Amino acid sequence: MPASRFTQTGNYRVRYTQDQTIFATYAEQLSLLLLIAALFALPLILPRAWFPYLTQIVIFSVAVIGLNVTTGYTGLINIGQGAFMGVGAYATALAATRLNLPFYLAIPLGGVAGALIGTLVGLPSLRLKYLYLAIATLAFQIIFEWGVGHAPLLEQGGVIKPPTPQAFGVKDSFLNHNVFWYLVSLPVLISLALLWRNVLRTRHGRAMIAVRDNDRAAAAMGIHPGRAKLTAFLIGSFYAGVAGGLFMYFQKGAVIEDYSLGLSVKLLAMAIVGGLGSLPGSFLGPLFIVGLDRGVELLSQSALLGRVTAFAEGVDVASALRPFSFGMAIVLFLMFEPRGLANWWRLTRLYFKRWPFKF
Amino acid sequence: MPQLHVENVTLTFGGLNALTDVSLTVPEGEIVSIIGPNGAGKTSLLNCVSGFYHPTRGQIRFGEHDLTHAAPNVITGYGVARAFQNLELFRGLSVTENLLLARHTHLRYGLLSSLLYYGRASRQEAQNRAYVEGIIDFMELEEHRAHPVGTLAYGIQKRVEVARALTLAPRLLLLDEPMAGMNVEEKEDMVRFILDIKREHGVTVVLIEHDLGVVMDISDRVYVLDFGQLIAAGTPAQVSADPRVIAAYTGAQELSA
Ligand SMILES: Nc1ncnc2c1ncn2[C@@H]1O[C@H](COP(=O)(O)OP(=O)(O)OP(=O)(O)O)[C@@H](O)[C@H]1O
Ligand SMILES: [Mg+2]
Repeated sequence: MPASRFTQTGNYRVRYTQDQTIFATYAEQLSLLLLIAALFALPLILPRAWFPYLTQIVIFSVAVIGLNVTTGYTGLINIGQGAFMGVGAYATALAATRLNLPFYLAIPLGGVAGALIGTLVGLPSLRLKYLYLAIATLAFQIIFEWGVGHAPLLEQGGVIKPPTPQAFGVKDSFLNHNVFWYLVSLPVLISLALLWRNVLRTRHGRAMIAVRDNDRAAAAMGIHPGRAKLTAFLIGSFYAGVAGGLFMYFQKGAVIEDYSLGLSVKLLAMAIVGGLGSLPGSFLGPLFIVGLDRGVELLSQSALLGRVTAFAEGVDVASALRPFSFGMAIVLFLMFEPRGLANWWRLTRLYFKRWPFKF
Repeated sequence: MPQLHVENVTLTFGGLNALTDVSLTVPEGEIVSIIGPNGAGKTSLLNCVSGFYHPTRGQIRFGEHDLTHAAPNVITGYGVARAFQNLELFRGLSVTENLLLARHTHLRYGLLSSLLYYGRASRQEAQNRAYVEGIIDFMELEEHRAHPVGTLAYGIQKRVEVARALTLAPRLLLLDEPMAGMNVEEKEDMVRFILDIKREHGVTVVLIEHDLGVVMDISDRVYVLDFGQLIAAGTPAQVSADPRVIAAYTGAQELSA
């Protein structure tokens, strides 16, 4: 064992397994544990009014990790992640209402439904590339919206309300609804993030990155490119399905407007702003976009904006500005920081990693 | 017992023959070189063997396996590895990560084990890493192991390309101009590596190379391609004395045996 595992400098690894661990130093491990503890403690510190937003950030992070699996790590453009979330949401809603399953069984079922449908939609990726695949996923998004809108079982897209969940005998209204779902979603996010982090250091994760970077060379390595792509769709849409199940409960029901093309674009914006193919980016992106969303909302409510803009009385300024602000965020990040917020995060970490040296 | 059989292979691109009725055998444990002027069809032949192209006519067999219509990843699974003429590395990944990728078919654990990184996955990955470090030592890449491949000098990238093919633990190694663009010293290193690969790893080698001095030095057998046709075959001595070979090379290159 090296003398100190608290810092990276002077910490020489003498066995390969040490190189393969996720956290190289105790300091890293400790700071992550502290961060997680702090996240769980947030309901004790922050006002309740924050939790609608925090819960959204957590749930969208789950979906964005999934989107990164297909788009960021495997290079398959996916404009249907919102619909995969929708599949999970509806499957969860049906499981809760028709099968009377409790939420902790209904949500994983939503994940499985998402994974099944996602893998089916991924089948064209065996033949199609780049823009063509993007169009195939977009087509699914449209078919999904149309299909739900015409399905009597799914109330033609109207609200399907699940029974109020009970966890360990505690009704979610006992806690605050938003805090409850924050506390349910957080461990889900943490475990799914760790699972993906594991895949990344094994043959399956490496195969996906190889297919993204150079599919000829990947094939020369004995990797079946099609299988790697389908595995990516399987994992990515499982995550979407779980996120959809959580979001359905958080929204107190499944309704088609929640899973429209707009959501798919929003998730892509989060992935790009966070940094494609980055796990920290999968948290930073949702944080930024949900924050931006809230900022726009506050701005449009302020009297100042009402006076300087020419909007007529009663116009919902926030919903007019929202797509504009997402679009701006995507364009600005693609132009000035294509590696996303994750790059800033990386540089900050690097600084501390090399500490006490300057470079 | 001969390993690789190429039988009457013809490869056509829009009416033009890149290969015409080419037949050759590569016996186990030998270093067999394929030479010929630019555009002779050497790379096309390797592409047929490794499954990136499929012959218009003819057959390719490796031991008991039929390679004629097999996909590249399947052929790699049979024990045929390839180092590309135009580097096909994962440029953003480190040398170690590039080599780890070459262990894909040697690792046997499922997605679930992968997700949990428990049991088989973690055990096999530890052995895997040790194996890769062995190749890094063998190919003298220690000081470059953590660097992204795209940032390395061309000669080093060429060596990584060969190292990665070797990491596949092949029975047959196809090397497409592994010394192109190298200086004398780097070439000498590469020759030493190829001889060691044959000797220590017992790998059969097919070598495409323009440096005829090297070819005549290390080959057990040489095939000469010109305009997609096989014009000569035999030991280095036989081939360099062949008037057709000299004719094909006149003006283009000197026979510097
Ligand atoms: N995909 C392709 N489509 C069309 N023509 C091709 C293709 N691949 C190769 N060719 C043609 O086949 C012929 C043989 O090319 P090849 O790359 O096999 O030559 P080579 O012997 O490897 O040459 P070099 O020594 O320059 O690498 C050339 O005329 C080339 O233009
Ligand atoms: Mg060539």
